[in-house]
Amino acid sequence: MDFMVALKLDERELSIRRAFVGLHDEDLQRLASLRPIAEKHTSEVIEDFYRVLLSQEETRAMFPDPATLERAKRAQYEYFMGLFAGRCDLDYAADRLRVGTTHERIGLAPKWYIGAYTRYLWFLHHRLHDEIPSPEEREAAFESVHKMVTFDMTLAIDTYIAAYLDSLDRHRAAIRELSTPVIAVHEGVLLLPLVGALDAKRSERVMEAVLLRVVEEQARVVILDIAGVPVVDTGVADHLLKTTAAVRLLGAQTVLTGISASVARTMVQLGVDVSTMHTKSRLADGIQLALSIVGKTIQEVAG
Amino acid sequence: MRSGNPIPILRIKDTLLVTVEVDLHDRLAEAFQADMLATIERQGAAGLVIDISGLDIVDSYVARVLAETARMTSLMGAETVIVGMRPEVAATLVRMGYTMSGVRTALDVDAGLGLLSRGHGSSSA
Repeated sequence: MDFMVALKLDERELSIRRAFVGLHDEDLQRLASLRPIAEKHTSEVIEDFYRVLLSQEETRAMFPDPATLERAKRAQYEYFMGLFAGRCDLDYAADRLRVGTTHERIGLAPKWYIGAYTRYLWFLHHRLHDEIPSPEEREAAFESVHKMVTFDMTLAIDTYIAAYLDSLDRHRAAIRELSTPVIAVHEGVLLLPLVGALDAKRSERVMEAVLLRVVEEQARVVILDIAGVPVVDTGVADHLLKTTAAVRLLGAQTVLTGISASVARTMVQLGVDVSTMHTKSRLADGIQLALSIVGKTIQEVAG
Repeated sequence: MRSGNPIPILRIKDTLLVTVEVDLHDRLAEAFQADMLATIERQGAAGLVIDISGLDIVDSYVARVLAETARMTSLMGAETVIVGMRPEVAATLVRMGYTMSGVRTALDVDAGLGLLSRGHGSSSA
Protein backbone atom coordinates (compact mmCIF):
# COMPACT_ATOMS: atom_id res chain seq x y z
CA MET A 1 0.00 0.00 0.00
CA ASP A 2 1.05 3.60 -0.54
CA PHE A 3 1.59 5.07 2.90
CA MET A 4 1.91 8.61 1.54
CA VAL A 5 -1.71 8.24 0.42
CA ALA A 6 -2.84 6.31 3.51
CA LEU A 7 -1.44 9.00 5.83
CA LYS A 8 -2.72 11.76 3.51
CA LEU A 9 0.81 13.16 3.44
CA ASP A 10 0.84 16.31 1.33
CA GLU A 11 2.56 19.69 1.79
CA ARG A 12 -0.11 20.83 4.22
CA GLU A 13 -0.04 17.68 6.36
CA LEU A 14 3.76 17.80 6.39
CA SER A 15 3.85 21.38 7.63
CA ILE A 16 1.25 20.58 10.32
CA ARG A 17 3.33 17.64 11.53
CA ARG A 18 6.53 19.70 11.52
CA ALA A 19 4.91 22.60 13.34
CA PHE A 20 3.56 20.29 16.03
CA VAL A 21 6.95 18.87 16.96
CA GLY A 22 8.46 22.34 16.54
CA LEU A 23 10.79 21.37 13.74
CA HIS A 24 11.63 24.74 12.16
CA ASP A 25 13.97 25.67 9.31
CA GLU A 26 16.59 26.81 11.82
CA ASP A 27 16.59 23.29 13.27
CA LEU A 28 17.23 21.90 9.81
CA GLN A 29 20.08 24.38 9.30
CA ARG A 30 21.57 23.44 12.66
CA LEU A 31 21.33 19.75 11.78
CA ALA A 32 23.08 20.41 8.47
CA SER A 33 25.87 22.22 10.34
CA LEU A 34 26.30 19.17 12.58
CA ARG A 35 26.91 16.96 9.57
CA PRO A 36 30.74 16.85 9.91
CA ILE A 37 30.44 15.69 13.54
CA ALA A 38 27.81 13.13 12.55
CA GLU A 39 29.95 11.78 9.75
CA LYS A 40 32.91 11.42 12.07
CA HIS A 41 30.96 9.29 14.56
CA THR A 42 28.47 7.41 12.44
CA SER A 43 30.19 4.08 12.49
CA GLU A 44 30.77 4.17 16.25
CA VAL A 45 27.13 5.08 16.95
CA ILE A 46 25.93 2.38 14.60
CA GLU A 47 28.25 -0.21 16.10
CA ASP A 48 27.09 0.71 19.62
CA PHE A 49 23.49 0.52 18.42
CA TYR A 50 23.84 -2.92 16.87
CA ARG A 51 25.68 -4.22 19.92
CA VAL A 52 22.48 -3.46 21.85
CA LEU A 53 20.27 -5.04 19.21
CA LEU A 54 22.39 -8.20 19.09
CA SER A 55 22.48 -8.51 22.87
CA GLN A 56 18.75 -9.18 23.01
CA GLU A 57 17.38 -12.48 21.80
CA GLU A 58 14.21 -11.09 20.16
CA THR A 59 16.01 -8.34 18.26
CA ARG A 60 18.93 -10.61 17.39
CA ALA A 61 16.44 -12.82 15.52
CA MET A 62 15.93 -10.00 12.97
CA PHE A 63 19.48 -10.56 11.73
CA PRO A 64 19.70 -14.26 10.98
CA ASP A 65 22.95 -14.01 8.96
CA PRO A 66 25.92 -11.64 8.56
CA ALA A 67 24.73 -10.44 5.15
CA THR A 68 21.41 -9.26 6.56
CA LEU A 69 23.26 -7.53 9.37
CA GLU A 70 25.56 -5.76 6.91
CA ARG A 71 22.61 -4.64 4.81
CA ALA A 72 20.83 -3.32 7.89
CA LYS A 73 23.93 -1.43 8.98
CA ARG A 74 24.29 0.19 5.57
CA ALA A 75 20.63 1.20 5.64
CA GLN A 76 21.20 2.52 9.14
CA TYR A 77 24.09 4.63 7.88
CA GLU A 78 21.85 6.18 5.23
CA TYR A 79 19.19 6.75 7.80
CA PHE A 80 21.57 8.33 10.29
CA MET A 81 23.09 10.73 7.79
CA GLY A 82 19.58 11.57 6.59
CA LEU A 83 18.93 13.17 9.97
CA PHE A 84 21.66 15.68 9.20
CA ALA A 85 20.74 16.35 5.57
CA GLY A 86 19.12 19.63 6.57
CA ARG A 87 15.89 18.96 4.73
CA CYS A 88 12.44 17.80 5.67
CA ASP A 89 10.22 17.80 2.59
CA LEU A 90 7.87 15.27 1.04
CA ASP A 91 10.78 13.28 -0.41
CA TYR A 92 12.27 13.03 3.05
CA ALA A 93 8.92 11.85 4.45
CA ALA A 94 8.56 9.26 1.66
CA ASP A 95 12.05 8.00 2.48
CA ARG A 96 11.18 7.68 6.18
CA LEU A 97 7.97 5.85 5.34
CA ARG A 98 10.00 3.29 3.43
CA VAL A 99 11.86 2.59 6.70
CA GLY A 100 8.53 2.05 8.45
CA THR A 101 7.38 -0.26 5.66
CA THR A 102 10.52 -2.34 6.06
CA HIS A 103 9.96 -2.61 9.81
CA GLU A 104 6.40 -3.68 9.20
CA ARG A 105 7.53 -6.27 6.66
CA ILE A 106 10.19 -7.87 8.89
CA GLY A 107 7.77 -7.74 11.82
CA LEU A 108 9.71 -5.33 14.01
CA ALA A 109 7.22 -4.46 16.76
CA PRO A 110 6.88 -0.82 17.88
CA LYS A 111 8.24 -1.70 21.34
CA TRP A 112 11.62 -2.62 19.80
CA TYR A 113 11.54 0.31 17.43
CA ILE A 114 10.90 2.89 20.14
CA GLY A 115 13.19 1.19 22.65
CA ALA A 116 16.02 1.01 20.14
CA TYR A 117 15.50 4.63 19.21
CA THR A 118 15.99 5.72 22.81
CA ARG A 119 19.31 3.91 22.93
CA TYR A 120 20.27 5.45 19.64
CA LEU A 121 19.53 8.96 20.86
CA TRP A 122 21.53 8.31 23.97
CA PHE A 123 24.64 7.27 22.01
CA LEU A 124 24.25 10.35 19.87
CA HIS A 125 23.94 12.48 22.95
CA HIS A 126 27.29 11.23 24.24
CA ARG A 127 29.02 12.08 20.97
CA LEU A 128 27.53 15.57 20.84
CA HIS A 129 28.64 16.04 24.43
CA ASP A 130 32.24 15.19 23.55
CA GLU A 131 32.29 17.30 20.40
CA ILE A 132 30.50 20.51 21.36
CA PRO A 133 32.11 22.36 24.29
CA SER A 134 29.53 25.16 24.68
CA PRO A 135 26.58 24.00 26.82
CA GLU A 136 24.11 26.29 24.99
CA GLU A 137 25.14 25.09 21.56
CA ARG A 138 25.11 21.52 22.77
CA GLU A 139 21.60 21.86 24.11
CA ALA A 140 20.38 23.54 20.93
CA ALA A 141 21.99 20.79 18.84
CA PHE A 142 20.45 18.05 20.89
CA GLU A 143 17.05 19.73 20.78
CA SER A 144 17.14 19.87 16.98
CA VAL A 145 18.18 16.21 16.77
CA HIS A 146 15.42 15.29 19.16
CA LYS A 147 12.77 17.13 17.13
CA MET A 148 13.93 15.50 13.92
CA VAL A 149 13.90 12.06 15.51
CA THR A 150 10.45 12.65 16.99
CA PHE A 151 9.17 13.71 13.59
CA ASP A 152 10.50 10.45 12.14
CA MET A 153 8.90 8.49 14.97
CA THR A 154 5.45 9.98 14.36
CA LEU A 155 5.69 8.84 10.75
CA ALA A 156 6.92 5.38 11.73
CA ILE A 157 4.14 4.83 14.27
CA ASP A 158 1.52 6.02 11.80
CA THR A 159 2.95 3.59 9.28
CA TYR A 160 2.49 0.76 11.73
CA ILE A 161 -1.11 1.78 12.39
CA ALA A 162 -1.91 2.29 8.72
CA ALA A 163 -0.48 -1.13 7.89
CA TYR A 164 -2.53 -2.78 10.63
CA LEU A 165 -5.71 -0.98 9.56
CA ASP A 166 -5.08 -2.05 6.01
CA SER A 167 -4.77 -5.71 6.96
CA LEU A 168 -7.86 -5.36 9.16
CA ASP A 169 -9.78 -3.96 6.19
CA ARG A 170 -8.69 -6.83 4.01
CA HIS A 171 -9.77 -9.33 6.63
CA ARG A 172 -13.13 -7.60 7.00
CA ALA A 173 -13.65 -7.79 3.26
CA ALA A 174 -12.80 -11.50 3.31
CA ILE A 175 -15.25 -12.12 6.14
CA ARG A 176 -17.90 -10.10 4.35
CA GLU A 177 -17.58 -12.28 1.29
CA LEU A 178 -17.61 -15.47 3.30
CA SER A 179 -20.62 -14.39 5.30
CA THR A 180 -23.21 -14.35 2.53
CA PRO A 181 -22.87 -17.41 0.33
CA VAL A 182 -26.11 -18.13 -1.50
CA ILE A 183 -26.08 -21.64 -2.92
CA ALA A 184 -28.34 -22.94 -5.66
CA VAL A 185 -29.40 -26.35 -4.34
CA HIS A 186 -31.79 -27.17 -7.11
CA GLU A 187 -33.61 -25.37 -9.87
CA GLY A 188 -35.64 -22.68 -8.14
CA VAL A 189 -34.27 -23.52 -4.69
CA LEU A 190 -31.61 -21.44 -2.93
CA LEU A 191 -29.83 -22.27 0.32
CA LEU A 192 -28.31 -19.67 2.58
CA PRO A 193 -26.27 -21.26 5.38
CA LEU A 194 -25.82 -18.60 8.04
CA VAL A 195 -22.73 -19.02 10.22
CA GLY A 196 -21.73 -16.67 13.00
CA ALA A 197 -23.39 -13.77 14.75
CA LEU A 198 -26.04 -11.86 12.81
CA ASP A 199 -25.82 -8.16 13.56
CA ALA A 200 -27.88 -5.45 11.90
CA LYS A 201 -25.25 -4.65 9.28
CA ARG A 202 -24.68 -8.24 8.28
CA SER A 203 -28.40 -8.97 8.18
CA GLU A 204 -28.85 -6.11 5.73
CA ARG A 205 -26.18 -7.55 3.47
CA VAL A 206 -27.67 -11.03 3.78
CA MET A 207 -31.08 -9.70 2.79
CA GLU A 208 -29.73 -7.79 -0.21
CA ALA A 209 -27.70 -10.79 -1.39
CA VAL A 210 -30.68 -13.11 -1.07
CA LEU A 211 -33.06 -10.78 -2.92
CA LEU A 212 -30.65 -10.29 -5.81
CA ARG A 213 -30.08 -14.01 -6.14
CA VAL A 214 -33.79 -14.82 -5.98
CA VAL A 215 -34.37 -12.64 -9.04
CA GLU A 216 -31.20 -13.82 -10.83
CA GLU A 217 -31.95 -17.49 -10.32
CA GLN A 218 -35.72 -17.13 -10.60
CA ALA A 219 -35.87 -18.95 -7.29
CA ARG A 220 -39.17 -19.91 -5.75
CA VAL A 221 -37.89 -21.04 -2.38
CA VAL A 222 -35.05 -19.81 -0.18
CA ILE A 223 -33.84 -22.02 2.67
CA LEU A 224 -32.33 -20.04 5.54
CA ASP A 225 -30.27 -22.39 7.68
CA ILE A 226 -29.48 -20.91 11.08
CA ALA A 227 -27.73 -23.94 12.60
CA GLY A 228 -24.49 -21.93 12.67
CA VAL A 229 -25.94 -18.85 14.34
CA PRO A 230 -24.85 -19.01 17.99
CA VAL A 231 -27.54 -16.82 19.53
CA VAL A 232 -31.03 -16.25 18.20
CA ASP A 233 -32.56 -13.34 20.07
CA THR A 234 -35.40 -10.98 19.16
CA GLY A 235 -33.02 -8.93 17.01
CA VAL A 236 -31.96 -11.91 14.91
CA ALA A 237 -35.53 -13.16 14.66
CA ASP A 238 -36.61 -9.72 13.49
CA HIS A 239 -33.98 -9.79 10.74
CA LEU A 240 -35.12 -13.24 9.62
CA LEU A 241 -38.73 -12.09 9.50
CA LYS A 242 -37.77 -9.03 7.45
CA THR A 243 -35.85 -11.17 4.99
CA THR A 244 -38.82 -13.51 4.73
CA ALA A 245 -41.17 -10.59 4.10
CA ALA A 246 -38.90 -9.14 1.40
CA VAL A 247 -38.46 -12.54 -0.28
CA ARG A 248 -42.24 -12.90 -0.27
CA LEU A 249 -42.66 -9.50 -1.93
CA LEU A 250 -40.59 -10.82 -4.81
CA GLY A 251 -42.86 -13.83 -5.08
CA ALA A 252 -40.78 -16.54 -3.42
CA GLN A 253 -41.07 -18.39 -0.11
CA THR A 254 -38.73 -18.94 2.79
CA VAL A 255 -37.99 -22.09 4.75
CA LEU A 256 -36.18 -21.65 8.05
CA THR A 257 -34.08 -24.64 9.09
CA GLY A 258 -31.45 -25.49 11.66
CA ILE A 259 -33.65 -24.68 14.62
CA SER A 260 -32.14 -26.50 17.57
CA ALA A 261 -33.99 -27.38 20.77
CA SER A 262 -32.42 -24.47 22.64
CA VAL A 263 -33.19 -22.02 19.82
CA ALA A 264 -36.81 -23.20 19.71
CA ARG A 265 -37.04 -22.74 23.49
CA THR A 266 -35.52 -19.25 23.35
CA MET A 267 -37.77 -18.15 20.50
CA VAL A 268 -40.93 -19.24 22.27
CA GLN A 269 -39.84 -17.76 25.58
CA LEU A 270 -39.02 -14.46 23.86
CA GLY A 271 -42.42 -14.51 22.21
CA VAL A 272 -40.93 -14.44 18.70
CA ASP A 273 -43.65 -15.10 16.15
CA VAL A 274 -42.33 -16.87 13.08
CA SER A 275 -45.69 -18.22 11.98
CA THR A 276 -45.20 -16.52 8.59
CA MET A 277 -42.25 -18.81 7.87
CA HIS A 278 -42.04 -22.50 7.17
CA THR A 279 -39.77 -23.95 9.85
CA LYS A 280 -37.92 -27.25 10.17
CA SER A 281 -35.31 -28.47 12.57
CA ARG A 282 -33.14 -30.39 10.14
CA LEU A 283 -31.79 -29.00 6.89
CA ALA A 284 -32.64 -32.29 5.14
CA ASP A 285 -36.32 -31.79 5.97
CA GLY A 286 -36.09 -28.21 4.81
CA ILE A 287 -34.69 -29.28 1.45
CA GLN A 288 -37.46 -31.83 1.08
CA LEU A 289 -40.08 -29.20 1.85
CA ALA A 290 -38.48 -26.75 -0.57
CA LEU A 291 -38.46 -29.35 -3.31
CA SER A 292 -42.11 -30.17 -2.72
CA ILE A 293 -42.91 -26.47 -3.12
CA VAL A 294 -41.30 -26.45 -6.58
CA GLY A 295 -43.10 -29.68 -7.38
CA LYS A 296 -40.19 -32.10 -6.98
CA THR A 297 -39.64 -34.99 -4.66
CA ILE A 298 -36.72 -37.07 -3.49
CA GLN A 299 -37.26 -40.70 -4.29
CA GLU A 300 -35.44 -43.78 -3.12
CA VAL A 301 -33.95 -45.84 -5.90
CA ALA A 302 -34.36 -49.57 -5.54
CA GLY A 303 -31.16 -51.56 -5.77
CA MET B 1 -57.79 6.03 -21.84
CA ARG B 2 -60.92 5.62 -19.84
CA SER B 3 -61.52 7.83 -16.83
CA GLY B 4 -58.10 9.43 -17.17
CA ASN B 5 -56.15 6.26 -16.53
CA PRO B 6 -53.21 5.97 -18.93
CA ILE B 7 -52.27 2.48 -17.75
CA PRO B 8 -53.66 -0.09 -20.21
CA ILE B 9 -55.61 -3.02 -18.81
CA LEU B 10 -55.14 -6.06 -21.05
CA ARG B 11 -57.51 -8.97 -21.05
CA ILE B 12 -56.34 -12.50 -21.80
CA LYS B 13 -59.39 -14.74 -21.61
CA ASP B 14 -60.67 -14.28 -18.05
CA THR B 15 -57.46 -12.82 -16.69
CA LEU B 16 -56.51 -9.14 -16.62
CA LEU B 17 -52.90 -8.04 -17.05
CA VAL B 18 -51.72 -4.60 -15.97
CA THR B 19 -48.19 -3.35 -16.42
CA VAL B 20 -47.36 -0.33 -14.28
CA GLU B 21 -44.46 1.63 -15.68
CA VAL B 22 -45.18 5.15 -14.55
CA ASP B 23 -45.07 6.56 -11.07
CA LEU B 24 -48.46 6.04 -9.45
CA HIS B 25 -49.19 9.34 -7.83
CA ASP B 26 -52.24 10.96 -6.34
CA ARG B 27 -54.83 11.38 -9.09
CA LEU B 28 -53.20 8.79 -11.32
CA ALA B 29 -53.31 6.19 -8.54
CA GLU B 30 -56.96 6.94 -7.91
CA ALA B 31 -57.82 6.80 -11.59
CA PHE B 32 -55.91 3.54 -11.99
CA GLN B 33 -57.69 1.95 -9.04
CA ALA B 34 -61.11 3.18 -10.15
CA ASP B 35 -60.61 2.01 -13.72
CA MET B 36 -59.51 -1.44 -12.58
CA LEU B 37 -62.43 -1.91 -10.23
CA ALA B 38 -64.88 -0.64 -12.86
CA THR B 39 -63.49 -3.04 -15.44
CA ILE B 40 -63.96 -6.00 -13.12
CA GLU B 41 -67.43 -4.79 -12.17
CA ARG B 42 -68.47 -4.43 -15.81
CA GLN B 43 -66.79 -7.41 -17.39
CA GLY B 44 -65.78 -9.65 -14.52
CA ALA B 45 -62.41 -11.36 -14.23
CA ALA B 46 -61.14 -14.50 -12.54
CA GLY B 47 -57.61 -13.28 -12.17
CA LEU B 48 -55.54 -10.11 -12.18
CA VAL B 49 -51.79 -9.82 -12.59
CA ILE B 50 -50.18 -6.47 -11.75
CA ASP B 51 -46.65 -6.28 -13.13
CA ILE B 52 -44.47 -3.70 -11.33
CA SER B 53 -41.09 -4.76 -12.76
CA GLY B 54 -40.88 -1.35 -14.42
CA LEU B 55 -40.92 0.52 -11.12
CA ASP B 56 -37.52 1.55 -9.72
CA ILE B 57 -39.00 3.30 -6.76
CA VAL B 58 -42.06 2.32 -4.77
CA ASP B 59 -42.74 4.55 -1.80
CA SER B 60 -45.15 3.75 1.01
CA TYR B 61 -48.00 5.57 -0.74
CA VAL B 62 -47.65 3.59 -3.96
CA ALA B 63 -47.20 0.37 -1.98
CA ARG B 64 -50.41 1.09 -0.10
CA VAL B 65 -52.32 1.85 -3.30
CA LEU B 66 -51.10 -1.39 -4.86
CA ALA B 67 -51.86 -3.50 -1.79
CA GLU B 68 -55.29 -1.92 -1.36
CA THR B 69 -56.12 -2.37 -5.01
CA ALA B 70 -55.11 -6.02 -4.79
CA ARG B 71 -57.31 -6.56 -1.73
CA MET B 72 -60.27 -4.80 -3.38
CA THR B 73 -60.02 -6.75 -6.63
CA SER B 74 -59.62 -10.02 -4.70
CA LEU B 75 -62.76 -9.09 -2.80
CA MET B 76 -64.53 -8.72 -6.15
CA GLY B 77 -63.55 -12.24 -7.07
CA ALA B 78 -60.47 -11.61 -9.17
CA GLU B 79 -57.53 -13.47 -7.68
CA THR B 80 -54.78 -10.89 -7.70
CA VAL B 81 -51.02 -11.34 -7.91
CA ILE B 82 -48.43 -8.58 -7.82
CA VAL B 83 -45.38 -9.65 -9.82
CA GLY B 84 -41.88 -8.52 -10.73
CA MET B 85 -40.97 -6.43 -7.70
CA ARG B 86 -37.31 -5.47 -7.84
CA PRO B 87 -34.98 -6.60 -5.05
CA GLU B 88 -34.08 -3.07 -3.98
CA VAL B 89 -37.75 -2.12 -3.87
CA ALA B 90 -38.56 -5.14 -1.66
CA ALA B 91 -35.65 -4.34 0.67
CA THR B 92 -36.77 -0.71 1.00
CA LEU B 93 -40.41 -1.60 1.68
CA VAL B 94 -39.47 -4.14 4.36
CA ARG B 95 -37.10 -1.64 5.98
CA MET B 96 -40.03 0.77 6.20
CA GLY B 97 -42.02 -2.01 7.85
CA TYR B 98 -44.29 -2.39 4.85
CA THR B 99 -44.75 -6.07 4.01
CA MET B 100 -47.99 -5.94 1.98
CA SER B 101 -49.32 -8.85 3.97
CA GLY B 102 -52.21 -10.74 2.44
CA VAL B 103 -51.18 -9.81 -1.08
CA ARG B 104 -50.03 -12.58 -3.39
CA THR B 105 -46.72 -12.19 -5.15
CA ALA B 106 -44.74 -13.91 -7.90
CA LEU B 107 -41.39 -13.43 -9.61
CA ASP B 108 -42.72 -12.43 -13.04
CA VAL B 109 -45.84 -12.39 -15.20
CA ASP B 110 -45.32 -16.01 -16.21
CA ALA B 111 -45.06 -17.19 -12.62
CA GLY B 112 -48.05 -15.02 -11.71
CA LEU B 113 -50.22 -16.57 -14.43
CA GLY B 114 -49.03 -20.01 -13.33
CA LEU B 115 -50.07 -19.21 -9.80
CA LEU B 116 -53.55 -18.21 -10.93
CA SER B 117 -54.07 -21.32 -13.04
CA ARG B 118 -53.00 -23.53 -10.12
CA GLY B 119 -55.23 -21.58 -7.81
CA HIS B 120 -52.80 -21.57 -4.90
CA GLY B 121 -49.93 -19.26 -4.25
CA SER B 122 -46.88 -18.25 -2.38
CA SER B 123 -48.76 -15.96 -0.11
CA SER B 124 -50.92 -16.92 2.73
CA ALA B 125 -49.00 -14.60 5.07
